[in-house]
Amino acid sequence: MSGPGPRRPRPRAEVVPPAPAAAPASREAPATPTVLDFLPREGDADTRLGRFFSRLREGRLSTTRCPRDGTLSWPPRTVCPTCHQRELDWVDLPEGGRLYAFSAVLAGAPLGMERDVPFAVGLVDLDGVPLRLFGRVVGRAWNELSVGDPVRVEAYPADDGRVFYRFRAGPRP
Amino acid sequence: MSGRQVAVVGGATTDFGVRPLTWEELAQEAGEALFRAVPALRSEDVDSLFVGAAMPERFAFQSHVAPLAAEQMGLRPTRLIQRTELACASGQSAIRSAYAAIASGLSDVAVAVGVEKMNIPSMAEANTSMACVMDRAWDGVAGATAPPFFAMVAQRHMLEHGTTPAQLAAVSDKNHRFANANPHAQFHRKTFTRDKLLGLPMVSPPLRLGDCSSMTDGAAAVVLVADELVSRFPGPVAWVRGTSQYSDFHNLANAGSLTDWPGLKHAAREALRRAKVDLGQLDLAELHDCFSISEIVEYEALGLCPAGQGGRWVEEGRSDLGGTLPVNTRGGLLGCGHPLGATGIAQAVEVYDQFAARVAPARQVPDPEWALVHNLSGSANVHSVMVYQRGEAA
Repeated sequence: MSGPGPRRPRPRAEVVPPAPAAAPASREAPATPTVLDFLPREGDADTRLGRFFSRLREGRLSTTRCPRDGTLSWPPRTVCPTCHQRELDWVDLPEGGRLYAFSAVLAGAPLGMERDVPFAVGLVDLDGVPLRLFGRVVGRAWNELSVGDPVRVEAYPADDGRVFYRFRAGPRP
Repeated sequence: MSGRQVAVVGGATTDFGVRPLTWEELAQEAGEALFRAVPALRSEDVDSLFVGAAMPERFAFQSHVAPLAAEQMGLRPTRLIQRTELACASGQSAIRSAYAAIASGLSDVAVAVGVEKMNIPSMAEANTSMACVMDRAWDGVAGATAPPFFAMVAQRHMLEHGTTPAQLAAVSDKNHRFANANPHAQFHRKTFTRDKLLGLPMVSPPLRLGDCSSMTDGAAAVVLVADELVSRFPGPVAWVRGTSQYSDFHNLANAGSLTDWPGLKHAAREALRRAKVDLGQLDLAELHDCFSISEIVEYEALGLCPAGQGGRWVEEGRSDLGGTLPVNTRGGLLGCGHPLGATGIAQAVEVYDQFAARVAPARQVPDPEWALVHNLSGSANVHSVMVYQRGEAA
């Protein structure tokens, strides 16, 4: 996965202990009003999923898995939806996948996304894991995409110094 | 069903469309329309009010809308008052809450009203609000709103079953034709032939403008009463015979198959079981056609036709007046527009008006007794169903 951080070799399922409980960090006034802010907040003052974003900064897409019952969740969670316990493992996800479905936004984009129109979005079956993630698809125009096309996950720098993920399609096969 | 029997004894909608009215003014119009449509209703008899409103905070910058609606409508509820929010199904949620309140004995006469103001100066801001119906932080952030999601449903349905753009247009054509006979519809007196629909601009491929319901201002209201009070209201009644819901997922990663909606199967089966009626006994259905593809998938999920045959079913006229089961004689969301909180109420108004034989002949089902109403929300992740039976006042 290419991203703002350096690439490095990594195991498929690295176990990381949950973040220790700590006093919330002081909060700075957000640049974007909350009711217009699409991006998830990353900081420890706002979420217990900070590790997702710190790993994404390193170019690694990850999520949580319950060590007790194996439930692999998307999005990452703080409590297992199956057995409701809190000690979850972080696991890296495959960077490759295939388009299960896609479309495009040609009109009617939300604030901040109008400049991206037209843009493609899709559902991607990640290789080898039972997860089908939704996201923006870049690298090729929507009318050059086909169901089944391979795509790769990439991290990208987002508003206010935050980071998010998207899918990149290679040159048309 | 257990508890007291509950009936809808009348209802009304405002005109739907791009209205030069505020949220409050829409609520006032709904009150005016309701009291005109149900002359036997006295405001002092309404003990409870349920207000279906999806996003007044975002579209009208207003919270705590239940007492606001009560004031606008000239009501002073003395027992129960609340807002119901379930995005696109906020309206049916208000009706179900009123039904439950009366069945349990907490209320005797309840009004369910739906109000939505969606046309605001910035459509980009309105679209921002619509993206919040999705899992905003993970899906909305990437540009997920309803059109691209249902476009992917259409793409998979075409891929898996060979459904065609012409079959999608057949849904929109039928519903716009019914809307031409509904003076409250946003697209009343607008002509949409299949050829014209197939030439409209693409919104989210393969969905064109005519495949998508619109951003609409509108309000609608119904009144529900306990069985022992039905005789105060002349004319036929619509008994609530069954209802159920099913919530399947929220994040799009957990949607499973896009073309198979098990939540609708479950909700419809349970509602019909409670009503003790079979699918084949239904005389009309209001199905949530937020997009043309939705109605096609819904035929299949309900079991009206085999999986994959929904496109052919509409093309053969099976869901038209005179067909196997007339669907969306009101004009649907495609023809009437889709003011989120009002849609579910307007669907029930259509059922009542069909039972009362008071709609235009071009969309009147002859002598209907049973009706099913389906109101979905979000990315078809929640399905809400009600079954009504016509009855006569005692």
